[in-house]
Amino acid sequence: MPRPEQTEGMSRTSVITTRDVRVTYPDGAGGRVHAVDGVDLDVSRGEVTALLGPNGAGKTTLIDVLLGLTAPDQGSLEVLGTSPTAAVRDGRISALLQTGGLLPDLTAAETVRMIAALHRNPADVDEVIDTAGVRPFASRRVGKCSGGQQQRLRFALALLPRPEVLILDEPTAGMDVSARHEFWDRMRAQADAGATVLFATHYLEEAEQFARRTVLLDHGRMLADGATDEVRSRAGATHLQVTWSPTEAELAVLHETVPDVRAVEQRGSRLALRTDTPDAAAVHLLTRTAAHDLTVRPASLEEAFQMLTGDGDGPVGTDETAQDPEELLR
Amino acid sequence: MNLTTYIAMDFWRNLRNAGNSFFVIVLPTALFLFFGASMDWSDGPVQDGNVSAWIMIGIACYGAAMATASLAGAAAVELQQGWGRQLSLTAMPPGAFVGAKTVISLAMAALPVIVLNLAGVLTIADMPLGTWLAAAALTILGAAPFALYGLAIGLTFRSDAAVGTASGILVIFSFLGNGFMPLDGVLLDIGRLTPMYGLVALARYPLTDGMLVGMAGPGGTDPLWMVLANVLAWTLIFGALCLLAQRRRTRRQ
Repeated sequence: MPRPEQTEGMSRTSVITTRDVRVTYPDGAGGRVHAVDGVDLDVSRGEVTALLGPNGAGKTTLIDVLLGLTAPDQGSLEVLGTSPTAAVRDGRISALLQTGGLLPDLTAAETVRMIAALHRNPADVDEVIDTAGVRPFASRRVGKCSGGQQQRLRFALALLPRPEVLILDEPTAGMDVSARHEFWDRMRAQADAGATVLFATHYLEEAEQFARRTVLLDHGRMLADGATDEVRSRAGATHLQVTWSPTEAELAVLHETVPDVRAVEQRGSRLALRTDTPDAAAVHLLTRTAAHDLTVRPASLEEAFQMLTGDGDGPVGTDETAQDPEELLR
Repeated sequence: MNLTTYIAMDFWRNLRNAGNSFFVIVLPTALFLFFGASMDWSDGPVQDGNVSAWIMIGIACYGAAMATASLAGAAAVELQQGWGRQLSLTAMPPGAFVGAKTVISLAMAALPVIVLNLAGVLTIADMPLGTWLAAAALTILGAAPFALYGLAIGLTFRSDAAVGTASGILVIFSFLGNGFMPLDGVLLDIGRLTPMYGLVALARYPLTDGMLVGMAGPGGTDPLWMVLANVLAWTLIFGALCLLAQRRRTRRQ
């Protein structure tokens, strides 16, 4: 879904352009999994974009295509006006890859130095170690580093070629809350310095806090692409539950007072509701009816996807077997 | 880009891997000092050299094969654990990884040969200078097919433990390959078919011209074609196993 303002002068501002990119894998049962199923993506210079989707949405596969690690079966793409492999070779695009990709018997600093030796024009190793926050554990063996420290090390490796475009695949996986905050502070500094950032996540709040633009991906397709606030409001229903067994008349009053209540389901004595205006609904329920024991829960990402696809009982995001093809390979 | 730095760092990483270095350098040296330099038969003659030199070459073959097998196996595991993806995000040209690992394997294979030859020189091993050099060169070159052995294991099992076990099995192959103690009888007949036999016999050829050494003095001779046939056959078998493992892996993808 190219946005109108980007189709004009695309060659000047667009750093990533994909057209109808498709990647399939054998599913082991004679068929093929459509990991990426026709993606049209345009990313402009300096933009910070979240690629949001549940496990198996195709995020990692799409990222692999953008980095030239996987060749698409179909479609065309351009990264910084050239092919992904050329852009990677020139150090103009780099990435923080998901799990793996580190040698446990090297120290963190050695890892940075070793990868730096393979770039044409690498940044200063010590500078990168400081920028990425690797200094406190620089002489520790990678195998003994915590998950969060390994992510910081991967971040350092991604910074080495001084890239124009940074791609991050689930960068905060395995980090605790404070490490997560610290990480995003460092990322923000990169973005402020002009880097284009595209990051995959399945945390809605990371997209909200850090990305101005969000692309929703599921089953290899782009479900939505736009300003994060806008996407969030489309996905942002809240679940309410109360102990209440209303009469038909009482329900009618509820619908009248809070018109956007979307789903009503009675489970025993509990009544489940879904609404975009939870405050109004809660006020009405607690002050005008006999309802009590109110619980409020934001919609999970899976539910948001179900709402966006209208795929109420489909396997969206809840299918335990749906995984990134990358994970299936391990 | 500085491939030399990369190779030097990767070599150093493998060298300081205590398990590797123990089996590649310390164990062969200790084996030689026990069995090659201090036994009654150690200074018995073998053509222009002595038994100590004969044993030294066999044990050096074990060390060199250990080095290439464990390095190639570890390289396969590394690639599959995502290090290959990391390298793909650099300017490293395709093929440079294999090139770098070849240099590192040969350097690692040369280490036990150098250390053992020094131990030999400093103790009682004896043979003409040309024979020393020819045997050492054949040991290092002949160890190269064992990289395929390590690679096949690494590609099939994808774990460092499997590669470690496979390298450990080389101790048994080396014994059966006539590398440690002179074999005779049925053991020798079985040994001739095992993978280390060809390497050991080839590396010793400059010294023995194929002559066999037995506990009770000189035995028969192995013709050169038989030695080469063993090396060639096992190289093909290891190569085929690598292709099979690779194909199985690609199919899963």
